[in-house]
Amino acid sequence: MERCRVIQERDIDGNVIEACQQGDMSAFQMLFEAYKDKVYSIAFYFSRDEASARDITQQVFLKLFTSIGQFRRDCEFTTWLYRLVANACTDEHRRRRRFVSFDDEAGVMNMIERGSQEENYIRRQINDSVRAAIADLKPKLRLPILLKYVEGLSYDEIANVLGCSKGTVASRLNRGHKLLARKLAPYRGALDSG
Amino acid sequence: MKMFKKHVSKHLSAYCHGELSPERSRSVAEHLLSCERCRREYDQIKLGVSLAKRLAPVPAPDSMWDGITVLLRGRSVDAARRPEHSWFGLAHIMAGGWPRFVAASAVLILIIGIATTWYYTRQPRVALEVEGLEGAPIVGSAPISKSGRLAVGEWLVTDSDSRARINVSSIGRVEIDPNTRVRLVETRATEHRLALAAGRLHAQIWAPPRLFFVETPSAVAVDLGCAYTLEVDNFGRSYLHVTSGWVMLELRGRESIVPAGALCETRPGIGPGTPFFEDAPEGFRKALAKIDFETGGQEATAEVLNVILAGARKRDTLTLWHLLSRVNGADRARLYDRMAELVPPPEGVNKDGVMRLDQLMLDLWKEKLEPAWFDTEDPSWRKAWRKGWED
Repeated sequence: MERCRVIQERDIDGNVIEACQQGDMSAFQMLFEAYKDKVYSIAFYFSRDEASARDITQQVFLKLFTSIGQFRRDCEFTTWLYRLVANACTDEHRRRRRFVSFDDEAGVMNMIERGSQEENYIRRQINDSVRAAIADLKPKLRLPILLKYVEGLSYDEIANVLGCSKGTVASRLNRGHKLLARKLAPYRGALDSG
Repeated sequence: MKMFKKHVSKHLSAYCHGELSPERSRSVAEHLLSCERCRREYDQIKLGVSLAKRLAPVPAPDSMWDGITVLLRGRSVDAARRPEHSWFGLAHIMAGGWPRFVAASAVLILIIGIATTWYYTRQPRVALEVEGLEGAPIVGSAPISKSGRLAVGEWLVTDSDSRARINVSSIGRVEIDPNTRVRLVETRATEHRLALAAGRLHAQIWAPPRLFFVETPSAVAVDLGCAYTLEVDNFGRSYLHVTSGWVMLELRGRESIVPAGALCETRPGIGPGTPFFEDAPEGFRKALAKIDFETGGQEATAEVLNVILAGARKRDTLTLWHLLSRVNGADRARLYDRMAELVPPPEGVNKDGVMRLDQLMLDLWKEKLEPAWFDTEDPSWRKAWRKGWED
């Protein structure tokens, strides 16, 4: 993830941003190519739904295109971009009020007990369960988790994106981690052995 | 040794992530050595961290850029370049110094001069009549009360309290619902074209096919002599419901033909989905949406196709016929078999030809299927439909 960020920062410099501000579509496409996966990843994990992730990603880049003239470089471009992503996710959440319920701890238990010969299967199940558990967090806990683990942002950067203090970020991550641990406690053994 | 008297639970995530100062970090570590309760909580946080670390980036679908460019086409590139706050533009010019300001003023005066000359010498603009049905719809930049004219390039905008009707020359009328934005793209004897950016319209057209078009961010609706409702949501997706005649939806060579009583959805970057009848079961519709708009791979397609084939009635050959060219290999063969059970192919149409999507065979079979789509066994229905708009 870290390596990806270096590549993107190298490709997207001030000239590309300036060209976008002048309405240069090829520069905008470059910007899109550089950040589409990051934006889509957050949208996907936030909504846990491909169609919603597509919609959110499109909205973010449309908004980016129509408002990049207002970007004044008083913050990092990525901070500004992630603010758009966070807003689009929150809007989508308000619009749809559609949650994926994660209430299958019994199923998790059964699978762990059953599965000594199915390591790949278990790994995939754990990942799916993590996604579901994250999608089940409240949006204010979900976004810091995604910005931290999908985008690798620091606490200061997350605070800038979400417009809150670093202490609030720490507190929300703390609550998010505890909820994940509680929901997915049956996986503890599988993680320790894997 | 200085030690935290208070428990350190609120610092534990930051401690895990190395976000604490060295001094605070050392203090937390020392506290953990002696506090059983915080150690238990730390174990829990560490489990949460190791679970969250399993989130990996997800690549965006390849077709996304196409969808964005389609949506952008509905917006002015100039508007995108322009900062929203007009004072910013002035400040930008002033920042360039007086020569730049004088040059900008000269250009402005020149533009005003040209615009004034044009205003007094222009030909009467091509326009359509608009009637206000409720509230005060806005045409161009001014609200209208009872009637107005919508010129080519102008927007008609309704708010939550207003509705309007556009009289499309002598060939039909279009009612515009509240909260709708529609632009007149073209109006001439051989083509009338609107662009629906958002909201809903109801079109009733009594003209030969292919005279009236509505562009949306994800497809173009081509009138084939009909009445229909077309809605565009905030994400550029459109929803078509045909109440009489036919409408064709198309985007970059992908076409869906939608008869009366059928619906069709479109998505930016994908285009028209597969049409289905309004009384199709919920499971049938959901399965269809998966094939049309989700990327689930061959296996997933085969699975949802089971639902579609099992639920298909005679008139649902509308859906099956469209799917023939949208699935591959074994799935296409299964479609052929089910369609042949419901409405056997006419003479000259065989499985080999359909499997390689022979256009003539597909058209011949479609012609035989069409009476079923209109719930009539009378083969003269097409003549009657054509006569409707010829009169």
